[in-house]
Amino acid sequence: MTPPWILDLFAAIMLLVAGISAGRLVVSRSRSNLAPDPDIDAAHVLMGVAMAGMLASGLRTLPNGVWVGVFAVVTAWFAWRVAAEVRNTGGISAVGAGHHVPHLIHGAAMIYMFVAVSGAAGSASSGGPGMSGMGGMSGMGTLRLPTIGLVFVLLMVGWAVVDLDQLTAARWRGQGSWPTAGGFVPAAPRQRIALAAAGGPALGIAGNGAAPEAAVNSAGAGKASPAEPAASAQPAGVAGAGAARVLQDPRVTTGCRIAMSVTMALMLVLVI
Amino acid sequence: MVSNNPAVASGPLLRPGTSAAARLVSVSPDTRRRLQLVLAAIWLLDGVLQYQSFMFSRGFSQMLASVAPGNPAVIADPITWAAKIVAQHPVPTNAAFATIQLLLGLGIACRRTVRPALAASIVWAVAVWWFGEGLGGILNGGASPVNGAPGAVIIYALLAVLLWPVADGDRSGQPEFVAARPVGAVAAKVLWLVLWGSLAYFAVIAANRTAQGLHDMVAGMASGEPGWVGAINRGAADTLAHHGLEASIVLAILLGAIAVGVFLPLPLSRAAVVLAVVISLLIWVVGQDLGGILAGGATDPNSGLLLALLAAAYWPASAVARRSPDPTEAQA
Repeated sequence: MTPPWILDLFAAIMLLVAGISAGRLVVSRSRSNLAPDPDIDAAHVLMGVAMAGMLASGLRTLPNGVWVGVFAVVTAWFAWRVAAEVRNTGGISAVGAGHHVPHLIHGAAMIYMFVAVSGAAGSASSGGPGMSGMGGMSGMGTLRLPTIGLVFVLLMVGWAVVDLDQLTAARWRGQGSWPTAGGFVPAAPRQRIALAAAGGPALGIAGNGAAPEAAVNSAGAGKASPAEPAASAQPAGVAGAGAARVLQDPRVTTGCRIAMSVTMALMLVLVI
Repeated sequence: MVSNNPAVASGPLLRPGTSAAARLVSVSPDTRRRLQLVLAAIWLLDGVLQYQSFMFSRGFSQMLASVAPGNPAVIADPITWAAKIVAQHPVPTNAAFATIQLLLGLGIACRRTVRPALAASIVWAVAVWWFGEGLGGILNGGASPVNGAPGAVIIYALLAVLLWPVADGDRSGQPEFVAARPVGAVAAKVLWLVLWGSLAYFAVIAANRTAQGLHDMVAGMASGEPGWVGAINRGAADTLAHHGLEASIVLAILLGAIAVGVFLPLPLSRAAVVLAVVISLLIWVVGQDLGGILAGGATDPNSGLLLALLAAAYWPASAVARRSPDPTEAQA
């Protein structure tokens, strides 16, 4: 059996993801010009808590049936968002680069995990209480429709590496530090990076001397483009501002998604 | 290393008012980077597979020890020694194995660490090829292209070499194919010839050309697999029953044609690469059951997928494309 401390470690990472996402939700409410996708952060909170409960039985919160219902709603929501993306960007080809597709897949994978594993557990122990933590399930070796599980695993690892590639594709102003106002700088000539901020303009930096099309100001001093939104009220303290800036950093969101993809792939592999 | 073709890289700029968190919009990788990412994904998959329950049991160390018999003592003894260590400390050793592979995948996916991660993957792959796969069975007479010869993990090392990020700025035009960039076209073709030529040889060694050799190998895979995979196994096994010699010869001829194919003119070399992908995927699905992942206890997706990935790195560019180098490649 996979040692519990390994599962606990991944459970802790999931709780961290949930905490960060909750923090982003709180910060976005207090900083009106930096409203991230609340649906994505909320989904990360839910998934982080649910996955932690699956990995470590002591962290269980809700019955499996409730979680299935929750993630059915989450999946339906992101399916609607993806459909909207397709409509707005004018084609199915936009789905691959879409913002919400990974979250749609994550939601569907969560449903699959709860349903397939619960079914397997139920059939194995006739009317048992369902999942009692991944540690209790990892030795079962049975799972309904494992091929679907493998497909989800491949999607998860694929998204994780693509996310990590994209995350490190850009060079940031001030190597090794959190981005200051102005956010991104081009990784190389002719590279254009777009950064969007909710409720505010997007940042697009074109190389070869092209002027930025817009810029996003992420709180604090720095060069502001004409398209920059009016600065929001500064947080009460410097520490608060720093924490808020970190939480709003797009790398944090992507990092959370990478952690979630890898952990979800691990969980699926453990029960295949 | 990475091409950031502005035509594709810019992606859709998000307009003011877009309801989205601050985020990067896609920076399109070039072909080599795409192949690196597939390699990274496979390493990552290996990492999570290594966390399976079975790997922390005595079964894993027994699996390691089982590859020693039949090998020369100089190869077998270290395998037995390593298997004993794993048997004595299954949890820390396997946790380390899994974590290393996880980090290799993440390291290759991260652009800043791709070089050290690829270099580390070569070292790790060679070690696993010896201690974990017994050199893929090439010295004990049990190797077959269908069962994963010459050892899936050595193909990881080969891929790491052939996908090594180097700048092409000092060369005139584009190389013929991605795998030629780090080592040159001739060396890359020789590596291809050796690999596929060895597979052709293994297809007709004594153990594989018996009447029931391939049948038994394929039929034996069905155990523990989901219904559709088992059905494929049984169907293929029925087809191969008592035709092991003929099937081995046909397979060897096809593999031999692939081996020399990259030295032929463009249309034929492309046909060889396509054939390589088809044969690889056929072996992966029919003979290797997707690496046995669905049956549980697999440590990797086996060689078929990796051979297909390798073949993709040999896809020859057209002459026109080679005369028009991608200016963004110089950023590598």
